[in-house]
Formats: sequence, C-alpha cells, structure tokens
Amino acid sequence: METLYQSLVTVNPVTLIAQICNLFIQLLIAKIFFLDKVKAILDQRRTAADKEITDAQAARAEAMTIKETYEQNMKEARAKADDLLLTAQRTANSRSEEIINQAQQTAAQIKLKASSDIEMEKKKAINDAKNEISGLAMAIAGKVVERELSAADQEQLIDRFINELGDSV
Amino acid sequence: MDVSINGARILATIENVPLFGSVQITQTLTASWLVMLIISGLLIWLGSGLKVSGISRKQAVAEMAYTSLVNFVRGNMGTGFDHYIPLVGTIFITSVISNLISLLGIWSPTADLMTELAWALVVFVLITYHKIKSSGIVAYMKSFLDPIAVLLPINIMSECFTPVSMACRHFGNILSGTVISALIYAALAAANNALFGLLGSSLVAAVCVAALGALLILFGKKANKKLFFILGIIVAVLGVLAVITNLGVHYPWLTVGIPAIPSLYFDWFGGCIQAFIFCTLTTLFIKQAAGD
Repeated sequence: METLYQSLVTVNPVTLIAQICNLFIQLLIAKIFFLDKVKAILDQRRTAADKEITDAQAARAEAMTIKETYEQNMKEARAKADDLLLTAQRTANSRSEEIINQAQQTAAQIKLKASSDIEMEKKKAINDAKNEISGLAMAIAGKVVERELSAADQEQLIDRFINELGDSV
Repeated sequence: MDVSINGARILATIENVPLFGSVQITQTLTASWLVMLIISGLLIWLGSGLKVSGISRKQAVAEMAYTSLVNFVRGNMGTGFDHYIPLVGTIFITSVISNLISLLGIWSPTADLMTELAWALVVFVLITYHKIKSSGIVAYMKSFLDPIAVLLPINIMSECFTPVSMACRHFGNILSGTVISALIYAALAAANNALFGLLGSSLVAAVCVAALGALLILFGKKANKKLFFILGIIVAVLGVLAVITNLGVHYPWLTVGIPAIPSLYFDWFGGCIQAFIFCTLTTLFIKQAAGD
C-alpha cells in the first residue's frame, strides 16, 4: 500500500475536532486522577500541620499553667515552712523566757524565805541573848549592888543596861 | 540529495461520513492518543497512594508539580482563576510530551497545526467569554468600532488572529525544528556519502587516513597540544570507519550522534519553551479579557 502524507500545513476539521475532544478528555483525566487528589491531600496535610501546631501551642500553654501552679505551690510551701519555723522559734523563745522567769521567781522566793529565816533566827538569837544577858545582868547587879535598891531604881538600871547592851550588839 | 518533508501520514481514509465527507485518520491522532496514554499513566501513577504524613519521593514530586502549576497560574492571573489550573496544566503537559515524543522517532502531534489550533480555539472561546462577561455583550460589540468605525475589519481580524497567532507560533517552532533536523540529517548523509565514497573506494587511502590520525594523536600527546590530539582522534576514527566501509559494511556513520546536538536545542529546549509560552499566553490573554 502506498503511504500517503498530508501536506505540511493543512486544515483538517476532523483532526481539529478530535484534538479539542482529546484536550478535554485529557483535562478530565488529569483533574480527576491527579489534580483533585493532590489538592485534597495537600489540604489535608496543611490541616494536619495546622492541627499539630495548635496542639503544640495548647500543650505548651498547659505546661506553662502547670509550671505556674508548681511555682505557686513551691512559694506557698516555702512561706509555710518559714511560718512554721518562725512560730517554733517564737514558741521556743517564749517558753525559755517563761522557764527563766519561773526559775528567777523560784530563786527569789527561795532567797526571800532564806533571808526571812535568817532574820527570824537572828531575832530569835538576839532575844535569846537579851534574855540571857538580862538574867546575867540581874545576877551581876544583885551581886554588885548587894544593897537594897528600890524596885524603881532596879528597873531603871536594868533597862538602861539592856539598852546599852542592845545597842552594842 | 533528496529531502522530502511531509505532514502527518494518513493512516486510513473513511469515505462517505455524513457532514464531513471523507475522513482521514492521520498519524497526529494516533500519536495524540499515545501521548494521552503516557500522560494519563504518569498522572495516575503520580496521583496514587498519596499519604498525609511520611510522604514518598513520588508524592513529593507530585506535590511539587502541582504547587508549581498553581504558582504559575496564580502568578500570571492572580487569585480567582483557580478553575483554569487544570486547563493550563493539561495544555502544558500535553504540549511538552507531544514535543518531546519526536525524540523517540514518533510523529509529534504538535507538528500538525490542527493540534495547536484546537488548543488555541478553546483558549479563544474562553477569552471571548470573559470579554463578554466583564463588559457585557453590547460593549463587546462596540469595542470592534473602537476607536473609529472604519477600523471594524481590522479589529475583527485582530480578534480572529489571536488564536491563529498562538497556534502558528507553537506550530512554527516545532515545525522549524523538524525541518532543520531533517535538513541536518540529509546533509550529514550526503557528507557521509561523499567522504566514505571517496575513502571507501580504496583500502590504502583509508589505512593512510587512520595512520595519519594515529600520528596526530601521538604528536599531540608528545608536544602536549590538545588541538592536534583532538584532531588526531577525529581523523583516526574516520580512517577506521573508512576501513570498515572498505570491508563491505555500508552505514551512514555521520548521522550517528551528531544530529543529537542541534536536537538538544530544537527538540528539548524549543519544545519546553514553546509549551511554556503557550501556557503563559493562555493565562495572560484570559486575565486581560477578564479585566480586573
């Protein structure tokens, strides 16, 4: 069979119409099997990426909240500890002061009692001495004078003697 | 030297088709279907098995292709014309594959004016639709009388020549590539005949040429002269080929490899750049017609 050729530039309506149809068929195939699919997957990927970013931001915010709560708790705990320490110190201080006061009081009481005891003993001793001395004086006087003395004179004499004695003791 | 450059081969002629008369099924159509098969297979393969996370290299390529297409359309037309993305992308990929398929020795569908004219007519319809839509049918009709009524024929011509110029620009570039390739091929075949006809007639001459080449190589290497070295290689190869021809193997040696060099420009570069220009014009014309 002889091979036939078209001329280089020729108008062939059948080819023209067929090529228009071919273009649209190709367009549909490209759109359905490639462009739409890639577009959908790109959108999905973008959405997924956006979601990931949002999630990450939310997680970060949550972490920040947790951190703040933790810091707040730590601060409170430290304040509480300080408070406890202060209270303990104060309690200890007041307690020690109390104990010291008590001890001082007791000591003062003991001292007071001791000095009063001493005073009493002293008085007692003086009185004893006085009585002793008066008796002695009487005896001495009776011996010395050996004469009759009026009762009044005797009294006077004794008193004077005692007073002089008492002043000197 | 006999060079014949023809249009598409007519594969079958169907007579008595209503409305058309005799219908010719040409190589353009079959090659177009082949191109469509290639593109559809490629796109279906690229568009299958897409995942949301942990994407494959294939998906990365598909996404990159899609993104650059979208960026191209949006860069030329702005936003609001996203529904033309499939059309522009389809014309581009069809044009590129059609142009490059000639490298496989298959008739390029874009070497037939009807292919580009079909695309240009579709674009022309869209341009006209947008012109009427943006300004109304009356203003569109009136624009033919602008600036004065006398210019009506010129305006109609300029309007009609938009698709024709688009189609012919693309077609002309591909055709020129085809023509130049054919001419180079024919010229190389003729040169081959002249050269090996001369050398091929005597074994002594062929051996002498081969020996001369070998001497040039040795001299070039010894004197450290690259020019002589390269020349020596060429002469030696010619001589060896001539010897082979003498032994009875006749083959157009010069047509091997050498046509690939101009083909790099006319087929690869020209083919891609024309597809790009056609798509750029499509977007710009539609954008211009739609106004702002």
